[in-house]
Amino acid sequence: MKPLPIVGLVALCMSQWAAAAPPAPGSHLSFVSCPIVRDTKTVPCWLAEHEGETYFLTLQTDVSAPVNPPWLGHKVLVEGVVSDEPGICGGVVLKPVALSVMQELDASCNTILPAEDRYELTFEPPRPPGPSRGRLAFGGFAPPGSLPDDTDFTADRRFTLQYEFDGMVGFRHAPTLQQILDFATQAKARELRIVGYRAASRLSNGQTMIEREDIERERAEQIRELLKGAGLTQVRYRLEWKDVAASADGKDDAANRRAEVLVLSGRKR
Amino acid sequence: MTRKISAITLLSIAAFTAGVAGSAEGPDARWWSPGDGATLPQLATYANPFGEAAILNTGGPVVTKGHPFFEPIGENGRACVTCHQPANAMSISVDMIRRRWEETNGKDPLFAPVDGMNCPHLPPEDPKSHSLLLDRGLFRIFLPWPPRAPDGSTIDPEFTLEVVRDPTGCNTHPIYGLKSANPTVSVYRRPRPVANMKYVTHQGFGVYAFIGKSGLPASRDPETGKPSGMNLLSDARHPTLATQAADAAATHLQLKGRLEGARLKGIVDFEKQLFAAQTRHVGAGDLMEENGPAGLGVLNLAKGREGVLGNNTTSFVIPMGDSWKKLPEAQDAATQARNRMRESIARGHDVFMFRTFWIKDAMHLNTVGLGNPTKRTCATCHGMHMMGMDVANGWMDIGTTNLPWAREEPLNPWNDRKPELPLFRITCKPGVPPHPFLGRVFYTQDPGRALISGKCNEVGTIVMQQLRGLAARAPYFSNGSAASLREMVDFYDRRFNIGYTDREREDLINFLSAL
Repeated sequence: MKPLPIVGLVALCMSQWAAAAPPAPGSHLSFVSCPIVRDTKTVPCWLAEHEGETYFLTLQTDVSAPVNPPWLGHKVLVEGVVSDEPGICGGVVLKPVALSVMQELDASCNTILPAEDRYELTFEPPRPPGPSRGRLAFGGFAPPGSLPDDTDFTADRRFTLQYEFDGMVGFRHAPTLQQILDFATQAKARELRIVGYRAASRLSNGQTMIEREDIERERAEQIRELLKGAGLTQVRYRLEWKDVAASADGKDDAANRRAEVLVLSGRKR
Repeated sequence: MTRKISAITLLSIAAFTAGVAGSAEGPDARWWSPGDGATLPQLATYANPFGEAAILNTGGPVVTKGHPFFEPIGENGRACVTCHQPANAMSISVDMIRRRWEETNGKDPLFAPVDGMNCPHLPPEDPKSHSLLLDRGLFRIFLPWPPRAPDGSTIDPEFTLEVVRDPTGCNTHPIYGLKSANPTVSVYRRPRPVANMKYVTHQGFGVYAFIGKSGLPASRDPETGKPSGMNLLSDARHPTLATQAADAAATHLQLKGRLEGARLKGIVDFEKQLFAAQTRHVGAGDLMEENGPAGLGVLNLAKGREGVLGNNTTSFVIPMGDSWKKLPEAQDAATQARNRMRESIARGHDVFMFRTFWIKDAMHLNTVGLGNPTKRTCATCHGMHMMGMDVANGWMDIGTTNLPWAREEPLNPWNDRKPELPLFRITCKPGVPPHPFLGRVFYTQDPGRALISGKCNEVGTIVMQQLRGLAARAPYFSNGSAASLREMVDFYDRRFNIGYTDREREDLINFLSAL
């Protein structure tokens, strides 16, 4: 093999360096990658690499966290915005960020990095790795009857359930379903209109990932069945489903993976 | 009629137990036969290898003659008490089972063919026909396959179930098996303790209309419509004590007809009154001393708050306080040894509560927002205040029944022992996501909750048990795969690569033995 000339080497290094520079703050990034765990003296950090850069996704906290860590053993779809916050655990912070665990197993995603002094957290994490110090897990979750005291049960109300990519109802949806059930019960609802959506994610590399076919219908039907299973049987359900995959733009794609539930109050004045 | 135990009564019991080792019931691990007719004292203590455990009946002494919990109900001569013995913290230990076999030559109703044998077609006089009961304390649980919903409709399961190994012969039997006229799957499980039910059936934190780990609807009390915590049985198939008792009467006790009315109420009321915990420890002495740890002893347990998350430093799972953390040097050897054991128990509590490790690939733990893996402690899952079970709907797969983690007999030319438990191959159907940690095809000894829900990702999930009275009711795990507290701790050590030191392990075992 013929050696590269020095000029060529320099040019190659510069191009590598250019590729490794993180996108500017405010840039939207969407990519699929193996998550990486980095231990610290307190809670572990969750990172992912993309085009030579390491990104900070989230910290381990508890189930009520706004962003829940992904899973080793699976790739993760990362959809986030580059933040100008100081890096955490050696990663450029993505904030906000949406994470979707890819459903198929991937044994190559198995990296746990040990704690290093240079990557220690510079702030107190929301909760330690063991028992919480007074603050309860599920802190942001709604127990039954947790609708605000000033809830107007005489007006219609819309609820939105957000999904991971290709995801159906999971642990994060329990509080919202509870609120729908509580509201429908107290509003003496006669009808629920449920709209399920199928979406896509436009990746930073130009590719588009589209959710599986028919998931929009399945999402709407599942919500109906779960509410009926919880006892909400004395209402009429009207279901719709929509495919909005074509609207993927690499910016708001995570928000499109949703279902909307409009509860029509039976106590309208 | 029952009455609530008063604070004065609790104090008088405390004074009584402080002054007398044991109680009117005596410390022997006595067997209660159906129709025994004796009175169960308000506080009955029984010996076990780690000291003594007590049964506290907050309703006062119970005249068992004619009591539906203690009288034979069905055709096989069993009563509820047959498999829920006061001496075993209202479960039944394998030592007690073996002793009963010896005492009755296998004739006790405990060994009834319906579930006290590996399969009903086997010869009842042969102890090999009862090997799972005699070796591991396991009863046969037989369930319809595919599963049925509470309304009787058939659930289309997300996976296929193939029998790979059938050492009991039951799953392939033409009458009792999966291909019989009434397709039935047989798995083998330990009886759960019928005590501390105010905690197990609480309506507090974590019990909502939708299960916090999956978003699916919780099962509901058919009488009140309220959601259930679903923590009674290892597969959560019954929402209430009443539905469980009625089903147990029909299956385990072979009652023709339905258990209802006064008899059903009598059983449920009795179960709600019972508390069971270790009260004396061979090394640490009296666990109910005034000013002792607030989480130990049956009296504290009866007084505790139910439905409280204890995985925090305000409530704690088992509140221990600081009184045993550093005890003074004693002049006499006995007190010195007692103090050292108390310190070990206090350290064991800290191992339970604060020793972190990586919890990985556990369905309904790593999948519920904590990430996989998560750096946490025992108390993360065993978080219910005073009990150490899950405060929410508590089925998880930590690998007690799913391969590769479940205990399997090593197969080699030098081992004559054969596998005792069935083995099933699970294949998640097309169109269903694979199991998040085991893939599309995997193996299990007991599909657990999935035999009820039909969910592929719930194969091998088992409802977490309470930790009270452990010393009285070995073996452990739903399939009896841990013969001792040491084996139980070792399972976790191996499963999660914890790396306990000898001292941590010993302290943790001492702590668990004092609950």
